[in-house]
Amino acid sequence: MKLLRTLAATAALLATLSITAFAAPKSIKVATDATWPPMEMVDANKQIVGYDIDFLKAVAKEAGLAVEIKNTAWDGIFAGLDSGQYDAIISSVTITAERQAKYDFTEPYTSIGQILVVPKTDKTAKAIADLKGKKVGAQIGTTGAMEVKKVAGVELKTYDEIGLAFEDMAAGRISGVVCDEPVAAHFALQKKEYRDKFKIVGKSFTKEAYGIVVKKGNKDLVALLNKGIKAVKAKKLDTKIHAKWVK
Amino acid sequence: MPKNPASHTPIEVGDGAAIPHKSDVGLFTAWRIAFFGAIFVSLFLAFGRPDPYFEIFKFVPDGILVTFKVTIGAILLATLLGLITGLGRISANRLVNGAASLYVEVVRGIPLLVQIFYIYYALGRFVKIPDMLSAIIAMAVCYGAYMGEVFRAGIQSIPKGQMEAALSLGMSRGQAMRQVILPQAFRVVLPPIGNEFIALLKDSSLVSILAVSDLLRRGREYASETFSYFETYTVIALIYLIMTLFFSKLISIMEERLNAGK
Repeated sequence: MKLLRTLAATAALLATLSITAFAAPKSIKVATDATWPPMEMVDANKQIVGYDIDFLKAVAKEAGLAVEIKNTAWDGIFAGLDSGQYDAIISSVTITAERQAKYDFTEPYTSIGQILVVPKTDKTAKAIADLKGKKVGAQIGTTGAMEVKKVAGVELKTYDEIGLAFEDMAAGRISGVVCDEPVAAHFALQKKEYRDKFKIVGKSFTKEAYGIVVKKGNKDLVALLNKGIKAVKAKKLDTKIHAKWVK
Repeated sequence: MPKNPASHTPIEVGDGAAIPHKSDVGLFTAWRIAFFGAIFVSLFLAFGRPDPYFEIFKFVPDGILVTFKVTIGAILLATLLGLITGLGRISANRLVNGAASLYVEVVRGIPLLVQIFYIYYALGRFVKIPDMLSAIIAMAVCYGAYMGEVFRAGIQSIPKGQMEAALSLGMSRGQAMRQVILPQAFRVVLPPIGNEFIALLKDSSLVSILAVSDLLRRGREYASETFSYFETYTVIALIYLIMTLFFSKLISIMEERLNAGK
């Protein structure tokens, strides 16, 4: 009798334990290239901050996920997903057909476009095509780089970090930089070393949407993240985050 | 600071670049296996699996050209800088000697990658120099210091008696240096310069961080858009291997000829 009671108690204890174990939030690792201000960057306290980070945290909270953010260089960020070093990427990744062929995306979470930044001394350039015979910089493997590549007669220079492209333009080695609109605004309008030197040309010329990237076939995670994104949008948390980071 | 080595010591400035030794003959030497193996694997991949391998081989040739331009430009400039530095390091003039030594100490104390970054972006703050030239200057400044040591050791390997004899014949120090010491020293430093050339060819891949479209950069650009990282880096590694093995053989042949003419 005593034995039976002990067994029952143990079983009950085990059951409670396993329930709590299941209830504990699933933990995922998410990679970001924190060189893309204001979307993702490292602040003065060495913390990874930005629009995407706040957004991811809000999504994770809604989806009941615990997240760990890993700062990863952009060049090779997809390879790290392939090799399973992390479960997802949130790094201002535009949803494109080429990327969708190899990876799965969540629902789009924000819309942006590519935009051209040139030195203030350039009075004539209205689009990339006006920089024929010149060099235009972009970050390697970004939609910005792909846009520059499309324009015949313009030499594309690819950089590991977008900040290096802007620094090279300040040094006069390139005639333009193409990147996401919020990033262009950060460098050309807000950064005090550059705001007297650079200007943004016109309006953005592409329509793109960011998504969170996961390994092909990871349907459970996509569903969870989508659930979170939906809740964040319903609560209009994304508008708040947008207002906080994108000026 | 390294003390002067005793004269007569053969100089060896190795960093692992494999120059096949003269005694290394026969059909199945490491060099042959590596060189022909790399070529065979390249052809096998390019024609056996044209997608993506042939595509990658088609994408990178202009990068190879840039790698050569950077390497050759930098080795020429570095040799010149090295000769000046080497002469400065053995100069009796305290100021010249101090400046040359300081240059060597500072450059050798900073990692190559940091220097390349620093020279490229620091230079850009003050003077407007095109990207490729900046990359060449950055590489040459680094290698100039290494070459300075090669030249110094080369000059010091020539027995002191030669200088004394030249001076006693009524030559000036400069004349003796130009007409007696340097021609002999040059023969001594050629193999280590060849070594440095191969090391520089490999290290030139570092300039890809400066957005110079060299072989590595071209490969990274290809990989970043197709996500074929494994395949692309396989090709890039094969091409570097073929190039360095080719040049090390060339240098060893040159070395043999040089010794034969002795």
